[in-house]
Amino acid sequence: MRRRTHLDRQRRAGLLFVLPALAYFGFVFLVPLVESVIASFYRTVPGGASRFVGLRLYEKVLTDSTFWQSVRNTLTLLAWSAPATIVLALIVALGLHRLTSVRWRSVWGAMYFLPFSVSLVAAALIWQWIYDPVYGLLNYLLGFAGIPPQKWLQSLDQVLPALAVTNIWVRLGFDTMVFLAGLQSIPAEYYEAAEIDGASRWQCLRRLTLPLLNPQILMLSILELIFNFKIFDQVYATTQGGPAGASQTVIMLLYDTAFKYFRLGDASVMAVFVFATLLAVTLVQWRVLRRPVEY
Amino acid sequence: MRRLTWSHLALPALVLIMALTLVPGAPLAQPKKLVYWTHWEQNPDFNKWYAERSREFAKKSGYEVEVVTIPYQGYEAKYLAALIGKSGAPDFFNGIAHQWCGQYDFCDPMPADLARLWDESIPRYMVPIGKWKGVRYGTPIEHGNFQQMYLNADLFKKAGLNPDRPPKTLDEWLSAMKKLTTGDGTSGVVGFALRHKGHPVGITDKFLPFAHAFGARMLSPDLEKATGYANSPEMAAALQFVVDLVQKDKVASLALGGPEDAFGQKRAAVIFRESWFFGWLKKNAPDVSFKVAALPCGKACPGAGALFPWTNLVGKNSPNKQAAWEFIRFISNAKDDLAQHESAGILPVWTANLESAYVKARPDYASTQEMLKQPVPPTYFHPKSNELATAFGEAVVNALYGKGQPKPLLDEAAAKMDKILKD
Repeated sequence: MRRRTHLDRQRRAGLLFVLPALAYFGFVFLVPLVESVIASFYRTVPGGASRFVGLRLYEKVLTDSTFWQSVRNTLTLLAWSAPATIVLALIVALGLHRLTSVRWRSVWGAMYFLPFSVSLVAAALIWQWIYDPVYGLLNYLLGFAGIPPQKWLQSLDQVLPALAVTNIWVRLGFDTMVFLAGLQSIPAEYYEAAEIDGASRWQCLRRLTLPLLNPQILMLSILELIFNFKIFDQVYATTQGGPAGASQTVIMLLYDTAFKYFRLGDASVMAVFVFATLLAVTLVQWRVLRRPVEY
Repeated sequence: MRRLTWSHLALPALVLIMALTLVPGAPLAQPKKLVYWTHWEQNPDFNKWYAERSREFAKKSGYEVEVVTIPYQGYEAKYLAALIGKSGAPDFFNGIAHQWCGQYDFCDPMPADLARLWDESIPRYMVPIGKWKGVRYGTPIEHGNFQQMYLNADLFKKAGLNPDRPPKTLDEWLSAMKKLTTGDGTSGVVGFALRHKGHPVGITDKFLPFAHAFGARMLSPDLEKATGYANSPEMAAALQFVVDLVQKDKVASLALGGPEDAFGQKRAAVIFRESWFFGWLKKNAPDVSFKVAALPCGKACPGAGALFPWTNLVGKNSPNKQAAWEFIRFISNAKDDLAQHESAGILPVWTANLESAYVKARPDYASTQEMLKQPVPPTYFHPKSNELATAFGEAVVNALYGKGQPKPLLDEAAAKMDKILKD
């Protein structure tokens, strides 16, 4: 019989260390995912019998105009929110990075980060008040500039941009912190060398900072994509998908389908769609944006 | 003398605890809990009454009621998760029989003698409420669960209208709304507080009185067909009328938020709401001087009907279902019915209370009588009523926001509803 080597013991110890994380991932993510995929082939009635229906629910959901409208709304909201959040966060992080006082940098950083620590529903309710057409702060302030009151969340055209602003407000702090950490890890010698070579600030940013922040940009792009694609709380608390379905997102429709109309099979199809889309787009992002940089 | 140690105290303490636990009526004995879930967050006094009354019930049964208020927004998810999961589910809950007992099998049928008592004690039009396929599962909790016209008396007088002579027909009503309107919603007063926000199910609920006044109905009488009903010429005319309130006549505004707040803040002169709104106004907008009138009639009168027939249901899998029924039996009498509803400003359910001093003193006494005399409007107690009302409500709200013309939107909705019915 082979004696256990030190390496075997190390492997076993390593496995034991990762086992809790694996078990957690398995039970919390993997099992529901598999169940969801299985449920998408069944017409399931909670408390009642399930019937295998093959791809019929896929055909039903993927030919439903309401579903595609919710996908369009989600993508529009994503397009309004994600790039703006990342660009603004980068600008704020660059500004904070230039602050020489560590104390002030921390104070400003904490201020930007604060909205991220607020509950999404609470944030949504604050913004609902800000956007109120009659009593809202925003219209009150616009009144000083002679701009007539806007309907914001009650307007078909303004609801998605208005919600995007809420998203940006919530996410800006987190993205800023990630960029700031990335900026602080870039050795100062690179900038000194670039300065000696006569590089301008813009050139430093384009040729040095941005390439070296590539891992952060990639990570935040993926996170923003996921965050915005599965957005629910803010929309549910403020507009409930209105007005006239103009802000109904995929996850909101999924929620209604599962819990209001009790169609768990249809909702599972939507969940599989969201999972497959996010996986595909994340892989594409990974391949396109990931550029290892070394100086 | 030997020192007293913890081990010397342990035995007497154990004996004391056992004695206190085993002796009947000992002060340490805790009452058992019956958990009640409700999403009626707008009526906290009504809900609290169950807990208060259960203290008396506990004296003979040992059970007290714990009331858990679930936020209305998304209550279905919470109910569903708990009732599927069984553990953590309420013993009894406020819900709709055709959903929780019809679409699912989550409810315990009411004991026959109690069901008979209820059938004999409530007004005839309410008898189907709480039943599914002829079996009684739930006890109706609100008598005036149909919309009536609440009007701001001061605003009526200011507009030169007599609040004691409210409009009786839709034409008179529209003319009154025009006189009452002095602004566009962002400023001034609008005539009518129209529901245009929130889930389409609620929008359908608030639109149905107009539909019924135009002689339309959302589904066929057997609840198996939508086409020809949800998109009938009468329905299209009703929707056009409501759209015109916003777009042509401008007596209702999409800039207003919740209609209840708008009425309470005196920014809208008229709202259609159920009997609980009387209590809500007393509590939240006590300075509003209001009167209640029957809804205006068109080709037909809207009558006393509701999309949401709320009832108290007992969970089929509750280990305490027997005790839950006993508690319901305990409060199933005219005295408790009156006490609970009076505490929250809601119309009582039992026939015996409809002529009580409390009901007669309410501002909606005459209008309730008037509406109850009208023919009972169509009901839509279908297990998929939420989904059907959503499809229909989407057409209503899309028309209100100018996303299409009423007829094509209703055609689309009817086709969708038929698909739901067949599915």
